[in-house]
Amino acid sequence: MKKILMMIMAISLIASCNKTSENTASKIGNSPDTATSSEKTTQEKNTPSANQNQNSPVLGTYTGGFEASEFNETKDYVYENRITISIDSVGEDTIDGHSVVAGNNRPFKGKFKQEGKSLKAEVAEPGDDQYDGKFSFTVDADGKTISGTWTSNDKKLAVTKRKYSLNKKQFKYDASQGLPTDVQWTSLYEKNPKFPDQVEALTEDVTKINASAKELTKKDVENMYKGDLEVIRNAIYARHGYSFKNRRMRFIFDQFVPWYMPLNTDIRSNLTEIEKKNIDLIKRYEEHAEKYYDEYGR
Amino acid sequence: MVSKFWAALLLIIYGFFSYLLVTISLQYIPYDTDVAFLRIKQDVIDILFYKLAFFTHVYTAVFVIPAGFTQFSGYIRRKFPLIHKYVGRVYAFVVIFLAGPSGFYMGIFANGGISAQISFCLLAILWIYFTVLAVSRVKQGNIKSHREFLIRSFALTLSAITLRAWKYLIVFAFEPRPMDVYEIVAWLGWIPNLIIAEIIIRKFVKSKKSNEYFD
Repeated sequence: MKKILMMIMAISLIASCNKTSENTASKIGNSPDTATSSEKTTQEKNTPSANQNQNSPVLGTYTGGFEASEFNETKDYVYENRITISIDSVGEDTIDGHSVVAGNNRPFKGKFKQEGKSLKAEVAEPGDDQYDGKFSFTVDADGKTISGTWTSNDKKLAVTKRKYSLNKKQFKYDASQGLPTDVQWTSLYEKNPKFPDQVEALTEDVTKINASAKELTKKDVENMYKGDLEVIRNAIYARHGYSFKNRRMRFIFDQFVPWYMPLNTDIRSNLTEIEKKNIDLIKRYEEHAEKYYDEYGR
Repeated sequence: MVSKFWAALLLIIYGFFSYLLVTISLQYIPYDTDVAFLRIKQDVIDILFYKLAFFTHVYTAVFVIPAGFTQFSGYIRRKFPLIHKYVGRVYAFVVIFLAGPSGFYMGIFANGGISAQISFCLLAILWIYFTVLAVSRVKQGNIKSHREFLIRSFALTLSAITLRAWKYLIVFAFEPRPMDVYEIVAWLGWIPNLIIAEIIIRKFVKSKKSNEYFD
């Protein structure tokens, strides 16, 4: 009798082990390059473990432009940044996720209503950051697009309202992604603070070298302009979904690179060995190229 | 040749650039194989002779600078002949045995391709050659020839200043690519200097006029 009881207990224990809360389906993408620890773990703690639709097509990441619709022209504002909104979990009427834009990764949570085939959601960011606000958006039933608005909590910000219409996009790291020819015809928007009078134009070199694909030698980089080197190096970060805090590089990737989607604010642990070596090499020649402007010495 | 006014002006300009050269050399103290210029020489810094040559050059070349202040002064040469003699010896020793040979070896690995490498090696050879001849002439008592060879030698010493000045101007005016600049200034840095030296020798030293500063 005791033996049978023990066996029943043992079997039921083993059976219950299989019901681990499988939140993996509701996390963004399936690649190893996805968002780093802290923001995600707080979301996991907040989401209710019951009644989650883990296979909802609505879950995942959506990318596109985050355009200013209400702004103060006298202030220094950015008209459009690229944003990724990630819907991480949906409950019966709750919705949780986070957004990554301009170097900020902020969680949001709120409620939604089913409206026909779409989901209409009202969510809020925590509120303890000066750039926090509230999103109001509609997700289509197939989970292919999100569109809506965002309103800031702080009415004194340069931009108090933004609008967006994003498309579902799953992040995939691809070392072979190069830069489109558009990039070579542009200049760096933000001036180098050391040389505020100089407009740094890029050249076709930015499309020629992919610093993630193969190990570079000094012959590849020694005769390149600083602006080109900087973009080539930052393209490595962009391939990993790095969200640029600074406008200087952000404007290039947000505006000219279609495959780019911001996903992480810290991608250092994702860099490959080839990339790390190339970053070091490029930085050396970037410094060297910079010193050639307005400096006497060698 | 030069009145006291121009002499003073030249000395002030020389003093300013000498100061800059000293600050460049100071970048390499304390000893570090990955600082300043060496940041783009990591592919050769592990070669023992390159390391030896590089640090010999950056640590000793500055000692040719004082000669620019003392050796061209007739006043110092007459009143303090020992200063002329010993500063001269330091100059010659550094060029012939330290900065010259090390410059030649570094030239083999110069940035800017084969053209720049040839230029720097040629520069080093001529620098040593003119200085050796200058020493030999003074030992023979041939002062005129001693002066002429030192004007040439010092013109090449000044390439440390002129090469960088050209680099600054060319980048300012044309913004070429980094190694392209190197290629250009590798020659521009010293050829005009030699040409001017020859002009000075022919116009002023060979003439019978007595020179205020340079005599």
